[in-house]
Amino acid sequence: MEAQNTEPSTATENGGSIRRLIITLLIIGPVLALLAYGFTRDARYITSPLMAKPAVPFTITLFDGKKLSLDDLKGKTVFLNFWASWCPPCRAEARDLEAAWQKVKDQNMVFIGVALQDTDEASREFLKEFDVTYPNGKDESGKIAVEYGTWGIPESFFIDPQGRITYKHVGGIRASVVVAKINEAAKGIVSAQEGKGDYQPVR
Amino acid sequence: MPLRRAFLSALLFSLFFLLPLRQTLAATPDLEDRTREIAAELRCVVCQNLSVADSPSEMAQQMRAIVREQLAAGKSPQEVRDFFVSKYGEWVLLKPKTSGVSAILWWLPYIALALGVTIALFVLRKWARKRAAQPHAPQPLTEQTRSEILREEIALPDIEDTSARAQLLRERSRLRAELQELEFDHSAGKLSDSDYAALRQEVEAKAAALMAQLEATPSEPDRKATPAKKAAPAVDTTSTESRARLKRWQLITGGAFLTLFGLALGVLLTQSIKPRTSENDSMTGDFMTGTSSGSADARAAMAEGKAAFGKQDYPKAIAAFKKVLASEPNQPEAHTYMGFILIQAGHGDGALLAFEKALATAPNFPIALWGKGMVLYQDKKDYASARDIFEKLLNIMPPGEERNEVAKVLAEIPTAGGAGPKTAAPAPAAKASGQTISGKITVDAKLKDKLDPQAALFIIARPAGGPGGPPLAVKKIDKPAFPLDYALGAENVMMQGMPFTGKINVTVRLDKDGNPTTRGPGDLTGEYKKNPAEVGSKGVDIVIDQAM
Repeated sequence: MEAQNTEPSTATENGGSIRRLIITLLIIGPVLALLAYGFTRDARYITSPLMAKPAVPFTITLFDGKKLSLDDLKGKTVFLNFWASWCPPCRAEARDLEAAWQKVKDQNMVFIGVALQDTDEASREFLKEFDVTYPNGKDESGKIAVEYGTWGIPESFFIDPQGRITYKHVGGIRASVVVAKINEAAKGIVSAQEGKGDYQPVR
Repeated sequence: MPLRRAFLSALLFSLFFLLPLRQTLAATPDLEDRTREIAAELRCVVCQNLSVADSPSEMAQQMRAIVREQLAAGKSPQEVRDFFVSKYGEWVLLKPKTSGVSAILWWLPYIALALGVTIALFVLRKWARKRAAQPHAPQPLTEQTRSEILREEIALPDIEDTSARAQLLRERSRLRAELQELEFDHSAGKLSDSDYAALRQEVEAKAAALMAQLEATPSEPDRKATPAKKAAPAVDTTSTESRARLKRWQLITGGAFLTLFGLALGVLLTQSIKPRTSENDSMTGDFMTGTSSGSADARAAMAEGKAAFGKQDYPKAIAAFKKVLASEPNQPEAHTYMGFILIQAGHGDGALLAFEKALATAPNFPIALWGKGMVLYQDKKDYASARDIFEKLLNIMPPGEERNEVAKVLAEIPTAGGAGPKTAAPAPAAKASGQTISGKITVDAKLKDKLDPQAALFIIARPAGGPGGPPLAVKKIDKPAFPLDYALGAENVMMQGMPFTGKINVTVRLDKDGNPTTRGPGDLTGEYKKNPAEVGSKGVDIVIDQAM
């Protein structure tokens, strides 16, 4: 009697423990995998909620004293670039931006540079050093930067003639990409993903 | 049933926690307090692990100002939070939202808790039922008595055995059967609980008395085993064996799981958490954006190498950097320092290779760029390439002392004369001739017969009025034929980076064994009679007129 009782019950116990183990691994495996994946991500690279949204209007005082308002640029394609003179990737891309500007300035396009967390003097020096000819101004209070969700500079935005943000690029950008993306913006094509390059976190 | 009740109350208990958390915001009259409260919920975009309220960064300051301004303008805290979410996305909130997809984050732990409690209760109930179903589990019987009865049952004495012990054993077997019958009747419902308990106690008392008697009676050797005796232990061993196997398996899987978990966590954490290189840096992030992780050993070796390099203890520095490169073959910093050591040793090619290795991993590593530029400029005289490098460096470096240094070097590099096709060479000769000393070397007539045709001629330049030590520049000419026209220029400078300018003492030596560091008899020497000579001058003629 006893013999018949104990034998099969341990057998099922054995099979049960393996099943239990598999179930445990099935639960814990994905959790661990998710954790591993999460560790490799930078939360800041979650796609900006600004994509395909209307660009927030702002008015900026340029270094030459004139005022520039985004609202006045409706109907034009706008390239907006946030930079600082202390940021190496900004320095690295500066010539590319000017080169791109030279290529498209005769079309219905505008470049705007916005200096962040920088002194007037250093900013002016930067512009002089890289022979920047497109309009540049300073974001005194950092408000424009926050409006555009800036966290790593240089950061560039492309705005179509209807005033919609079509593309965002965090980090250094090449002249060819600027030209390609501003042409897309002129046609109102919204990119699905943001671009990435070498960046420096804001201060 | 008490267990079911416990289960239900546990479920209710967890449901209580599952109720959506209500955001209760106490009315805060003070604007600063309210600002702080909201800022504390926002993630600083610079240093991701701090809140906007706690971060000292400029950006956080600006964000606090925006919060304050919006609150002052009459916006509700939720509107302010929504503003930041609409700009940065939800990651800007330190507490994820309790609605939408992020609600999972809030609910999941409670669901897991409820699930765990349910499973635990289920398992506990199963165990309890199993235990109740076991036939031999009379509670009040002491463990010893019970096991004695079970054991003795299988060791029935021979029928012919009439000894006192045998009789006692038979009595025990009878008691055991009685106990079994009682349990059977009880489980079958023929016996009420109270009757069962009373009868059982009676039997158990008898069994206990019997046990005492048995213990006093000496056992007799060599009893014949009944077939039952054989069968029962067999069952016992298999069941204990399989149980032991099960236990072993559980231990192994448990251990393996813990090890795996520990390993995974250890690897992930060390791989993804990096030291902050600045207060603006984040601790986690893309593996690619992380700074060199490396082992603690490699980091220690790196620090040791740098210290040795600073003290100009090059052999020690080389050993340390080699150690770093052994564990991290692409470590750009170690390659760069090796490059500088090679420059010191006069191995321009090796240094160039080292800098290029460093730049292959970190194309914008400023020190490696500087080193490469210097080698190209001063060793390879490849001015065009050197210019490119320094211009790149100038582009990358923020204004400051170091950058000014780069600008200075860039200005020094001759715009022409390089091998680069970019630059036209309008007047390379003029510039180059300005940097040499040239003249004619002859041998005095009285030494003509001492002339060794196999000897090597060394033209040596030492800074005038300078200390002893190694010469500034040396030129070696094998098997010279006199009279000999010579020119000594920057390309003959021994230490990289030393300028070939100013007043210089020029001497020559005709060395028999061709080794410049030894002076032996038979070596002939001579010097420029009007020493020192200005770099750039011509007609610095030298007569070899002395024998050693």
